[in-house]
Amino acid sequence: MKALRLLRWSGSVLSPRTRPCCFIHQTQYRPPFATNFLRFQSTAPIQYTPNIALEDDGKSGKAESIEAFFHNAPTQEERETILSQIPSPPPGQAHKSARLSALHARLMLPPRLPLETLARCLVDPSADIDSQFNNSSLSILGYDLLGLYTSEAVLCRHPRLPTEVMFAAMWAYCGPKTIAVITREWGVEVAAAPGGEVDPGYLQCKRVEAGNSSVDGTGVQVKELPIVATDSKGKPTFAEQGWRRGASSKTIKGDYFGDEIQRTELDYAERPELRQEDLQRKLEKGVTLEQASTNFVRALMGAIYLHAGKKAAYNFFKAHILSRHLDFSKLFEFRQPTRDLSRLCAREGFESPVARILSETGRKSRTPVFVVGVFAGKDKLGEGSGSSLDEARFRAAVGALKGWYLYSPLEVKVPSQAERGGQWEPVLVDGGEVVV
Amino acid sequence: MPVQAIRTTSTARNGVGAFILQCKRLDFHYCDHWGSSKGMNTFLRSPLLPRFAAAHPQIQIHISPRPNTHPIIRGLYINGREKVICVRNLEKEQILQKCELLRDATGEKVKRPKGGRVVGSLNESVRGVWDPYHGGNKEIFGGRIVGAGR
Repeated sequence: MKALRLLRWSGSVLSPRTRPCCFIHQTQYRPPFATNFLRFQSTAPIQYTPNIALEDDGKSGKAESIEAFFHNAPTQEERETILSQIPSPPPGQAHKSARLSALHARLMLPPRLPLETLARCLVDPSADIDSQFNNSSLSILGYDLLGLYTSEAVLCRHPRLPTEVMFAAMWAYCGPKTIAVITREWGVEVAAAPGGEVDPGYLQCKRVEAGNSSVDGTGVQVKELPIVATDSKGKPTFAEQGWRRGASSKTIKGDYFGDEIQRTELDYAERPELRQEDLQRKLEKGVTLEQASTNFVRALMGAIYLHAGKKAAYNFFKAHILSRHLDFSKLFEFRQPTRDLSRLCAREGFESPVARILSETGRKSRTPVFVVGVFAGKDKLGEGSGSSLDEARFRAAVGALKGWYLYSPLEVKVPSQAERGGQWEPVLVDGGEVVV
Repeated sequence: MPVQAIRTTSTARNGVGAFILQCKRLDFHYCDHWGSSKGMNTFLRSPLLPRFAAAHPQIQIHISPRPNTHPIIRGLYINGREKVICVRNLEKEQILQKCELLRDATGEKVKRPKGGRVVGSLNESVRGVWDPYHGGNKEIFGGRIVGAGR
């Protein structure tokens, strides 16, 4: 497979302030005064009234105009006024934050990832609606990358996992709940309220109001208010329509956790005004801490990919997400294991399974123990013990099924390895779970 | 109904992949007048502190005066707890040792491991849990158990 020249692509995506040039150089190198002056002149008009300068008078020049304006402000008070009026800290503040550079060092991020981008990753769309300054674009990329790396790690190592269990494994590795925990374990702190004057080392998001807080001091709790149905919520979900979703529907129509996608790109293409509406709603209502941390970690993943390349992104994923502990055998929940097992044996051409008692003790006592093995012909598929014959038989069948589904090849090469300069090797594709 | 799944979260194993240092901030407080801060003031002016800070970029370092009190070092940790050490009348080398102590701490309360469960592990035992229904058959000859266990 031909290696893609990623940095060439990403250069046009990134804003000029966050180009992947060397991190160390950026801190030491100051452009000569003349070039600075020229750039200021070439961007948005600079006036000494904050309200005018902060209006968006041209998408491309907004970042520069704020920066330029900020640096040209003569007094400390004026600077503070400007900072308090913008929704998130300007990129130039990133180098002044000890908290941010400590976070950069703590996560052992590649030096090619500049502090400005790390600061941008920490700005949630609920804090700053402008996609030039928030992490929304980076988090879309990061979401896809996390999905790719996790799904190949799960599926190549356990090629026989049933679909539902695979979804659960994906959720356990990179679901929102796990990512919120990861963010906490990284020592990322959340700003009380977002704003330009806030230290850029904080996670900036607008939090939803707590359910038990009172509305305008009236004593009525927020959760007691009637829910106002909004038009922009979109189609009713499958659950609302009274449908139970099968694994196939989840695979085709869901995201990689098997959850239903509320808003697809198709919806946005049909009604472009929806995107702005959704963003506006987020800005007004706020987001939960879980959603904000999810956006942050995804954006960070995307930022590492853009600035430092595929290898660095994969190493980061391996170090922080894949290295976490997950016991796959505890993800299963069988309803009728004996039936599943006999279907599996029929499909694979084994003899139909028979349960036999291997040993027992205290049949007539208060605490009997039976050890039952389940056999296909002369081969023992599984074994289980229980205090009744049925319990032991079910446990034996569960053991046999887990033994089949949790098969893992000894040496695995994941497909994305070929992209990082390795040799592509085909991986085992299994028939999947039994259909009952 | 076919096999269903249970949603759980994966658990962190710090150091298996990345290692996150648990100490995230050190605050140094000194006093200009009191004699007990003499060692602290020398420490803050000596190259020991810049060297320590450069070696640990993941720790934020804050220095602030705290007049008319003994000098202290306060460590803040990822789990939200803090650990404070009073360094009155200590020499600068001793203060550096205290910094290293705070750096290496997890922030948890110091607990004495009780009982037999000193080692905690997420992995299953290689030998499995012992049960009386498998393994060697036990025969008793003259009061001695022969061939017990696996």
